Amino acid sequence: MKRIFLKNSVALLLLFGLSAVLSGCDRSAERLNLDGSMVLSPPKELPEFIFEHRDMGKFSAENLKGKWSLFFFGYTHCPDVCPTELFMLSEVMRKIEKNPESVAEVPQVVFVSVDPQRDTPDSLQEYAGYYHQSFIGTTGEQESVDILARAMGTMYERVYYLNGKQLLIDEEEGVPEGVENSYLINHSASIFLVNPEGDMHAVFSAPHNPDVMVKDLATIQRAWD
Amino acid sequence: MNMNISRVLSTLFLLATVFSVRAEGVMVSDPWVRAAPPNAPALAAFMSLENHSGSEVALIGVTAAAELGRVEMHRTKMADGMMKMIQQKNIPVAPHSSTVLKPGSWHIMMIGPAKVPTVGDQIHLTLSFSDGSEQMVMAEVRRGGMMMKGGGHQMMHH
Repeated sequence: MKRIFLKNSVALLLLFGLSAVLSGCDRSAERLNLDGSMVLSPPKELPEFIFEHRDMGKFSAENLKGKWSLFFFGYTHCPDVCPTELFMLSEVMRKIEKNPESVAEVPQVVFVSVDPQRDTPDSLQEYAGYYHQSFIGTTGEQESVDILARAMGTMYERVYYLNGKQLLIDEEEGVPEGVENSYLINHSASIFLVNPEGDMHAVFSAPHNPDVMVKDLATIQRAWD
Repeated sequence: MNMNISRVLSTLFLLATVFSVRAEGVMVSDPWVRAAPPNAPALAAFMSLENHSGSEVALIGVTAAAELGRVEMHRTKMADGMMKMIQQKNIPVAPHSSTVLKPGSWHIMMIGPAKVPTVGDQIHLTLSFSDGSEQMVMAEVRRGGMMMKGGGHQMMHH
């Protein structure tokens, strides 16, 4: 959990992951008439993972079986992007609650922290649950989070600031003393849809619109069997 | 009695600040702080800055009550497939133009608040501009995302 990822290597590595994922998208999926998402054809098998959860103890690939899940990767020290996305996802849930017929099945929303160094299962669940009581906030060992993130094609990098200037972290020297815990994380704002078999099924790229999310989700669910 | 006098004085002071700033050109409208979970380690404030003068003015500093934590100016930008957080020395407003601080863009960040304010709270922010002017604004805490109704372009009516 203590491992510090250095900016460039991680970004490049995960960037490669994304292009690998997107190149797997089949054109035939476009026939679904989706406005804000891209379906993977075939769906992508995800690696096993075991994260921690405040109430359930564990949160693993098993918890994805039998339901649709929307995954978003972020961190609680995130001032802008994560609150924006979690609020947007809460709007999605409110729209579905108001009109349950709008989708085939209510999805579970999973907020995975890419920052287990600072986010605990407790703090994550409190944070995610604030946006919607059904939201799941979870994280695991950094390595395990990285593997899932890479498989889904999300990217992130840590950035450190000192006196208003971004620090370039030298791989040899590491992070200067005093700023070890005051980093920001740049990350992709995509939302990933996992199908009831636990495979990644579609990607919703930012910016997101709750109406489009609900509509696309319904279209994808109804086309799936 | 004293309380009343100081209240009147501070009101006058506030009005004077608002009017002097208006005369100098920067008008702040619709300041708000986004409601956040009670354990949120960071908060964001947004507003619209309108520059009615013929020269560029920048927001160069923001202060808030100590319990709100350290205040910084940031900008979220999409680059390399990521939403990047970039700390800013200032937030410029071009002549006869406006800069809107909003989710996914320019914002004021409050880091490590001792107590996270709740919906409806009013947050005092003091803004310093490059033309030497200062302005105090009250930012209301409200829920919100990218697509705020009326967020951004409304004028302040005094």
